[in-house]
Amino acid sequence: MKVTSPTVNTVLGPVPADDLGVVSVHEALLSVVPGAEHAYDITLDRAEIFEILAKKLTDFRNAGGQTIVDSTGMFHGRDLRLYEALSRSTGVHIVASTGMGPEENLGGYFLTPQTNPPTPWPAERFADLFGKEVTEGMVVPRVERRGAAGLVATTATRGGMTPTDESLFRGAARAALATGVPVSIRYGVDAVTELQLVLDEGLPADRVVVGDLDRTEAVAAGWPTAVAERGAFVAVDHVGRNDDDAFIRDAERAALVAELVAAGQVDRVLLSSNAVGVAKGHPAYELPYAHVQTAFAPLLASHGVADGDIQQILVANPRALLTVR
Amino acid sequence: MSRVNTVLGPVAAAELGFVAVHEHIGYGMPGSELDTQWWKTPEQRYEETVPKLRRFAEYSRGYGGCTFVDATGICNGRDVDYYQSLSAKTGVHIVAATGFVGGDTALRFFAEASVDYLMRQFVHEITVGIGNTGGKAGIIKVGVSRGFRMKELDLRIYRAAARAALLTGVPIFTHLAVDVEPALAVFAEEGLPLDRVLFGHADDGVSQGKVNEKAILGGGGRIGFDTFGYDLELPDPPFWGRHRRERLEHFLRLIHEGHLDQVLASADANCSPLGWPGVKGHTVNYIYEQLIPDLRQEGIDEATIHRIFVENPADFLTLTTN
Repeated sequence: MKVTSPTVNTVLGPVPADDLGVVSVHEALLSVVPGAEHAYDITLDRAEIFEILAKKLTDFRNAGGQTIVDSTGMFHGRDLRLYEALSRSTGVHIVASTGMGPEENLGGYFLTPQTNPPTPWPAERFADLFGKEVTEGMVVPRVERRGAAGLVATTATRGGMTPTDESLFRGAARAALATGVPVSIRYGVDAVTELQLVLDEGLPADRVVVGDLDRTEAVAAGWPTAVAERGAFVAVDHVGRNDDDAFIRDAERAALVAELVAAGQVDRVLLSSNAVGVAKGHPAYELPYAHVQTAFAPLLASHGVADGDIQQILVANPRALLTVR
Repeated sequence: MSRVNTVLGPVAAAELGFVAVHEHIGYGMPGSELDTQWWKTPEQRYEETVPKLRRFAEYSRGYGGCTFVDATGICNGRDVDYYQSLSAKTGVHIVAATGFVGGDTALRFFAEASVDYLMRQFVHEITVGIGNTGGKAGIIKVGVSRGFRMKELDLRIYRAAARAALLTGVPIFTHLAVDVEPALAVFAEEGLPLDRVLFGHADDGVSQGKVNEKAILGGGGRIGFDTFGYDLELPDPPFWGRHRRERLEHFLRLIHEGHLDQVLASADANCSPLGWPGVKGHTVNYIYEQLIPDLRQEGIDEATIHRIFVENPADFLTLTTN
């Protein structure tokens, strides 16, 4: 009988899941607002971008981090050859994602195609586009395919899901179901209802991470607990952001995590910062990738979360999520 | 001094020769680059494109040269260093566009930009260059999003284009001439003379009955019969196709009604489409192989053909600041 050990898709190929170590699941490496690459006043100096990201990844590694997930999808600055070189030179595993969203981040090819009428893409076509990024490799546009995507990431419109957002969510779920990689969703207005969309596609809840659950409204609505009870992963993923009323603060995040742990949901919790390595076309968000380990983990300990539980959240949970099934 | 921006630098208008005023080396909707079904190797792209441009140059010998105006906007696969190599190797002048085919082809970064920012983008591409290619845009593309109604973003782009045109002297051409009243209002408010604007696709099959020709022509605007060749007689015509005879008669009517100085004609063909199958067999050379013989058959003389394809576009493309 052939025994294959579980693996995770990184930009340098599949790695044994046990090698991932401490993982940050919702981060951005190079983040480019769609179109900004054509802006007359924005330069993309690859050498400079490499140097900045290499420094940040090295700092992350020196603080005990071993794996970064770039969860920005396929159309927000993803640069696979850059990420491969960064992973080789820093030793940090990089998991890149496929997927797109929300609708406003999509190109007209998907929204107003050259057909009459210009019907937006349905879920099935997104499923095929995203799925092939896992089975055949992620695209370098019009050039080649590279390694397999490790995650399908999508996001709903903040003002409320559009029909295309719904197609993206369903398409992401179908791609994940067909390929064995997980799905990341960032909710628009209702985390639980939107999670249900991907579950309705038959995707097991433990293949889904729901992001943005440390938004103030999400906590007030009790969605972190509701999402955990449905069996999906709860991403408390703006750790380090303490100056924005739309989000709770780190002290409240620590209390929220302690509460989830006390409720027996330690295996559902993920932590991340949504730090942006290099931002183009939108404001920079300078936060070390290691902030969760260096600052927030001690805070969790002071809230009474046991070391074993913290390790579970930083290592075992993301490993379970990212392992290809 | 009369000059026109081509991708290899400014040329005198007298050097343009025969002009195809609305064409595409290759067009793809934004995002189509992610879909491998459309990908082509660089070899294939050159193989599909170079012979068409060389034939266009051969047909144009009698006119002293030729110019291919590429109507591909920002985010649509516009590829200026590629155009530069094509132009240098074939001798065809290529004019590249700044601007957008319509609001629905402007990606988020530009969809959220102000009129002032969009104007700076266009002016930079006209006066400094596109990206780091050094090639300068010679014309500004604007257009109406799908649905035949001018949208707020479309109009923001029209206004920015009008301001950039006034500042730099390049002309504007539009994708679609439908729902033209809001556009005319913007140009009037900005003080742009309408002879600096080519209202395009006035001849396509789906626009008929929706183009206010009277307002465009009465205001001194130029009208584009620039989808010649998208004929319903083709085996698999696109949805914007039209019967060949009907389009020709429409064109002749405007010429006979005294609007010769205001008409421009082109084929809107893709040499090598980027994000759609294209229309098999349709190339820029339709102008020589079908349209000009049709015009001659209808008794149009050589001087008139010269006006339509040489003098009118030279006048239109010449950088003009008042």
